[in-house]
Amino acid sequence: MSVSKPGSDDFLVLRLEVQDFLIFEVGLLDDRKFEEWTDLFTDDGYYWAPATPDQDDPQSSVSLFFDDVPMMRTRFARLRHPRVHSQIPPSRTSHMVSNVTIDGHDATEGEFLIGARFQMLEYRPGHEQRTFGGRYEYQLLRRAAGDFQISAKKAVVLNCDSVHLPIAIPF
Amino acid sequence: MTEFGLIIETTNMNPYLNEHIQALVQPDRVHRDIYEDPALFDLEMERVFGRSWVFVGHESQVPKPGDFFCTRIGLQPVVMTRHSDGKVYVVYNRCAHRGVKVVNEECGNAGRFMCMYHGWTYDTNGDLDFVTQPEGYPDHEFDKVKHGMGRVAQWGSHHGFVFANLSSRAGGMKDWLGENADFLDDVAISAPAGEVEITGGVHRYLYHGNWKMQVENLIDMYHPAYSHESSSAKGGQQFTRRGGDKGGIQFFEKPGRVKSMDGLGTHALPNGHTWQGGLPPVENNSDDHREYVRLLEKKHGPEKTKDILIKKRHNVIFYPNMAMQELNPHIRVIRPLAVDRTEILIYPVKLKGAPEQMFRDQLINLNKTHSPTSLVQTDDVEAFARAQEGIQTSGNEWILLARKGPEERFNSGRIRTTGTSEEGMRNHHRAWLKYMCGET
Repeated sequence: MSVSKPGSDDFLVLRLEVQDFLIFEVGLLDDRKFEEWTDLFTDDGYYWAPATPDQDDPQSSVSLFFDDVPMMRTRFARLRHPRVHSQIPPSRTSHMVSNVTIDGHDATEGEFLIGARFQMLEYRPGHEQRTFGGRYEYQLLRRAAGDFQISAKKAVVLNCDSVHLPIAIPF
Repeated sequence: MTEFGLIIETTNMNPYLNEHIQALVQPDRVHRDIYEDPALFDLEMERVFGRSWVFVGHESQVPKPGDFFCTRIGLQPVVMTRHSDGKVYVVYNRCAHRGVKVVNEECGNAGRFMCMYHGWTYDTNGDLDFVTQPEGYPDHEFDKVKHGMGRVAQWGSHHGFVFANLSSRAGGMKDWLGENADFLDDVAISAPAGEVEITGGVHRYLYHGNWKMQVENLIDMYHPAYSHESSSAKGGQQFTRRGGDKGGIQFFEKPGRVKSMDGLGTHALPNGHTWQGGLPPVENNSDDHREYVRLLEKKHGPEKTKDILIKKRHNVIFYPNMAMQELNPHIRVIRPLAVDRTEILIYPVKLKGAPEQMFRDQLINLNKTHSPTSLVQTDDVEAFARAQEGIQTSGNEWILLARKGPEERFNSGRIRTTGTSEEGMRNHHRAWLKYMCGET
């Protein structure tokens, strides 16, 4: 599929497809369907939340999250553990995703570069509710209409370089 | 003695006399007040952080003249700088005029420091460079040093690790470091280039608890089987967290068994420093590790290299505010914010001259273990917050630190005992008492 000009019907349909997928994707996190969320990633896919807004590489400095698929599985297996003390009681989240833009398309790879803005409310009983927000950058593979795989998801959180209490759920 | 007499006898409204403070630290227990009384916290900032040597930073954070790095000693803002003379200085981050914090960025490079308020300008060694519109001070003579930002009383470095002391009456850095200097030697020699560098960003996280809880936790080998149960699979296998790990390290055998931890040992040193014996080595056959070994052997020969590769210590505490670990080498800075608020900063330590991939793996492992999203630290943070809440109860005013094992004493003053002994914590509190009730 080629990306038509902004404003064309094709483009609008694609943007809505992507938007629906992103709404579905972050909804899995809010519904605590972490394993299903992990399954959205390609085998070599990764999730990255930089520790500074200008961090351009997850390998030359530390990150809030930099998970490949095996690490996601380890992370979420722990969240399912009956004695995961730092998540008893667990955090509840509400993700919102908007301002979706189609920023690029690699026809040979079938990969789309997607931008979006997000907000995540997080509340763990007994603690102050927190608000995180910022920019998402995705690399999505389109397998069929409305059917995407994530080869990369990057969440640049506005206050990523602040000092944080523990964070359990991906942005 | 009346209450009234008590108050006027002490300075700055401190309600504590030494005899009261001494009663809070007993051989096998400490009073909850040391974790939750704001008046004691204020005293700690003055007496522990104001009298002990304190970790400031590493020289590699200010490599070029004009480089600066802002941090704190206790609650006091300071700047570590590299001056045009090539030397490192530690100066108070305060304008001599009206007390405004002069340097507002965490790090960077500057020719001079100018105060934003009235433009007073300082050299990068903290000396006063000039006062704006000086004709308005006809009766005042300005002195470069006296009206500078003010240097801290003492500072020094060992393999680039910079420590400072706010008290001119305190003993020297070398005496304070004691056998912890040997550890820094071991870290430096484990870098093929013979030196380390602080680079790769910083993990920072907060907890709602007293700063001493983190100090205690770092040499607590009793807690992992329980606190960190969720981050280990059956048989105590943890996720991969160092080079050579296959299914993760055998972190503990199974919940409830702490025997293997006891074998590692706790070493309590003078001045509150404490370290644990190193974790058992794993075989690492990766290309990077082989290249690393080859580089070390080229420089030191096979015999010495074998010794370098044996990690003799796990967490090493530089009491009161720093700890270092050679497993994914990093520095942990403990920054007290208030009696029940503490910030932790984790700085990766790069072994200069080692294969780049080793450092990349180290950073990825530190994301797993030492970030705000860590699979491990988050449970410690939870324990600190619950401890801070639990000690508010009046049913029991004491924190029990009575756990013991056989002890061996060395001439250096070091005590070696079992890994799950609480001797390390008792050692911290003995040092705490020394600073809190001492003269310097």
